[in-house]
Amino acid sequence: MGQKIREYVQGLLSEGKIKGFLGLRQEHGHVMPHLFCDPGDLEHMSLGDKDGPGDARYPLNQILIRVAAVYPHDTFAVLVRGCDERGLRELFKWQQLNEERVIPVGLGCPDELAKACECEKPFPDCLVDGPQGERADSQKVARIDGMDLEGRLAFWTAEFDRCIKCFGCRYVCPMCFCNECSLEEETLVGTGEIPPDNPTFHLVRAVHMVGRCIDCGLCEEACPGDIPLRTLYKKVADIVSEELGYRTGYTVEEKSPFTIIGGS
Amino acid sequence: MANKRMTFLQKLMEFCGMNPERVRLRWVTSAEASEFVHEISQFVEDIRKIGPNPLKTKEAA
Amino acid sequence: MEFKTVLTTCPYCGCGCGMVLEVLDGKLVGALPSKTSPVNEGKLCVKGWTVHEFVTSPKRLTKAMVRKDGTLEESSWDEALDMAATRLKEIKEKHGADSIGMFASAKCTNEENYLLQKFCRAAIGTNNIDHCARL
Repeated sequence: MGQKIREYVQGLLSEGKIKGFLGLRQEHGHVMPHLFCDPGDLEHMSLGDKDGPGDARYPLNQILIRVAAVYPHDTFAVLVRGCDERGLRELFKWQQLNEERVIPVGLGCPDELAKACECEKPFPDCLVDGPQGERADSQKVARIDGMDLEGRLAFWTAEFDRCIKCFGCRYVCPMCFCNECSLEEETLVGTGEIPPDNPTFHLVRAVHMVGRCIDCGLCEEACPGDIPLRTLYKKVADIVSEELGYRTGYTVEEKSPFTIIGGS
Repeated sequence: MANKRMTFLQKLMEFCGMNPERVRLRWVTSAEASEFVHEISQFVEDIRKIGPNPLKTKEAA
Repeated sequence: MEFKTVLTTCPYCGCGCGMVLEVLDGKLVGALPSKTSPVNEGKLCVKGWTVHEFVTSPKRLTKAMVRKDGTLEESSWDEALDMAATRLKEIKEKHGADSIGMFASAKCTNEENYLLQKFCRAAIGTNNIDHCARL
């Protein structure tokens, strides 16, 4: 797998349509982000699978924002899975990226990965390579829903107690781009204690994931405390979908309900 | 907007083990002084019935 | 335009987390954990995540500084080195070589650290050399 992506990107580069393709490379057994400007480099291309499918994924959209900010007139291609494409749609709406300067190169996720992620849609619409997988059922959220109030409080308090305030969840998040973050606001979250205000810190983050979280799972992968952040943010998405009728990353025009005054 | 945030917040609180009835949203204008007093008094009573916040007692311990 | 990613080790503690540095046109713009590093398995602490910030921080020293009457003042390298050499000699003569200790740093190169321990052991004549990675 990956040959179709190589060929597609080769075409884009040789036709001069892009300055570079933001993907991943494999080198000496390690996988890391790479900007491919020379088609010759593509032989080292990786899709983010080292030992298992998708175990070496990175927030490519986030890197793209940094590069595009300095080179706003250049067009770049970027490797996107189902989640990344949802991210791009939101980032265009939030005006963090210019859709006319981004060419998504779609990769579908295999069943194994889709199930591990409990992904609602494990393939992008702009699919170039990879399967068009099926939606996977969510059990992690259902498990918490099945607990009583006391059980849930005990569960989450114990999980949040392992937080070391590394901000990894925020730093890795491809959708976090605020210059001033509420989590660093002393009146909301006190400083100088580990774990940070339990559960304030994580609830504040969860609220800010409304209309933003694309369920890529990078936060949970980056958490040194193995806190089930994804389960929390999946619930956030469920609430927003059920109560406010909005699903993050599925529309090109409609904006997040928390950015629109009025309506209920 | 406040309605949206409140609906969302109550559901999120419930998911994390906190009683959503501990937060309440009511609209009262500055001309409705007696309604304001009534709402606050009622809320205080309702909170007393729910009991102390388990998070608070945890911190004390 | 040049954007590259460099696999390296975190310069802070002795854990040695693998990280990927993002370099845009010769300037550090970001740091990410290496997903494939067996040490940290794609995770970093807050110091690792902000490693790129200190390199380009405006708070970094740009001139040698010397403490005169309790206040740090900018000086030339000659003046600073002269003062360091003179005072170290004085202290060594008055209190002995073991009254001096030195700290190497993971933010320095191996060569710089080697030089420091050689200076400490051979020139000063004490074994009091340590390194932040031991913490």
